[in-house]
Amino acid sequence: MYGWRGRIGLLVPSINTTMETEFWRTAPPGVSVHTARIAGGRHGTPEELRGMESASKQAAKEVAMVEPDVVVYGCTSGSFFEGPEWNRKISEQLSEITGAPAVTTAGAMAACLIGGGYKKVDVVTPYVEVTNERLKQFLKAHGVEVVTLGTFDMLDMFDHAKIEPGEIYRKVREITTPKAEAVFVACTQLRALEVLDRLERDLGKPVYSAVQASAWQAYQAMGVDPGIADCGSLLRNLSEPGVTEARGKDRKPA
Amino acid sequence: MAAKQGGAQKGSYRIGLLVPSSNTTVEPEFYRALPVNVTLHTARLFLTEITPEAIFKMVEELEAQSRLLASADVDVVMLGATAPSFLKGLGYDREVIARIEKAAGKPATTTSTALLRALRFLGAKRVVLGSAYDDKVNAIARGFLEANGFKVVAARGLGMVDNLAVGRLGPESAFDLARGVDQADADAMVLACTNWRTMDVIERLERELGKPVVSTSQVSVWDALRMIGYRREIPGYGRLLRSLAAEDLLAAVA
Repeated sequence: MYGWRGRIGLLVPSINTTMETEFWRTAPPGVSVHTARIAGGRHGTPEELRGMESASKQAAKEVAMVEPDVVVYGCTSGSFFEGPEWNRKISEQLSEITGAPAVTTAGAMAACLIGGGYKKVDVVTPYVEVTNERLKQFLKAHGVEVVTLGTFDMLDMFDHAKIEPGEIYRKVREITTPKAEAVFVACTQLRALEVLDRLERDLGKPVYSAVQASAWQAYQAMGVDPGIADCGSLLRNLSEPGVTEARGKDRKPA
Repeated sequence: MAAKQGGAQKGSYRIGLLVPSSNTTVEPEFYRALPVNVTLHTARLFLTEITPEAIFKMVEELEAQSRLLASADVDVVMLGATAPSFLKGLGYDREVIARIEKAAGKPATTTSTALLRALRFLGAKRVVLGSAYDDKVNAIARGFLEANGFKVVAARGLGMVDNLAVGRLGPESAFDLARGVDQADADAMVLACTNWRTMDVIERLERELGKPVVSTSQVSVWDALRMIGYRREIPGYGRLLRSLAAEDLLAAVA
């Protein structure tokens, strides 16, 4: 059977074109990715983001049938928008429906920053102001302060995938300051995965992304070492003994 | 559908794939064969059992899931399921295509349509049918091929109804069944069911049997790539996928 090491049930907003591709790109032998789409609009309005919570239940029922080892709710704003409790509710619902541990992108974002011991971070998003404010509040509730937030400021979620990896690289370089201990690139539609290694080399601090953080938690939940060397320190560190349990902020990206 | 100018080498393309929810095979089999500039985006249709009743229920969701794929602006929609696209016999695949195209506003195809095109392209007239199905569904498959002008000189199924169990079979089950059912006077071997692992054994079977082997995953990849205008050979999965570079021949199929 495909997915003999682990089957990932991946739920993406229907308009998303990036996350499936980046998950498959990082899937090692024996890991398979099975996608279902969450119905919703493409404009990321508060109503649409809230609607994804109930729509994700339908997608979870569909993907439950592959008997996944982990289910991933692959949308950052769709999981942080109404705060930590809402995120937890989404996670619990998906876990109950699929019978598998659930990862949400917002939960993974908080977990990787907290796990690294980072209190001050810079964030890059494609979002409009209301959504950016909600993101800051979500991280604040987890004890993480956003020092600088840089945005592409685009309402249309489908168009977020048209932002080239090089533009993401430049945006991170442009906005980050030495005050931030780490950088997070939010939104699973942004093609950040392929520039994370370059950014970490050039900035000398951790740079994480929404898809990468989601994959990181998914592999932890499955107990699978993906052996991914070229998609940033977060995933690479999964391959080092003991690192997944206690990652210190003094750990520099290799 | 006309090939895009310049072929797929010059751009990137998205294939939208509709899969039965319990299918664990077709997504990995697509991903391993697809070139880097073509990405796969999946939506799921509820299905647990390969019975006519369960399949008719599944097909009711065709429009809603096709619209979700359309929101990701895919270049083509493939219904990557065999029985659901031949169940009502001659012309049923066309009926399904019309429904998908109307809902999605995108060119569509189905596994059964792809199978007919592949057999015509290869010039096959007399075929042997091996499948994962029970006698009832296998008889429908046979009837569909014969109604479309192919002589089925022998047919054998594994007798399976539980779709998830089909996904658990190793590729040797397709290899063994194909060798057992082959007839010297057949000019092609057909392996049916997209949840049945076949991609690993096509190349070896072709060498052993001395004739083209088409499987429903393979023809689905082939037809989707053909429709987006991809014109380079894909090695390792039999004669059919290597033929993608034969532009003149492929034009005759459409």
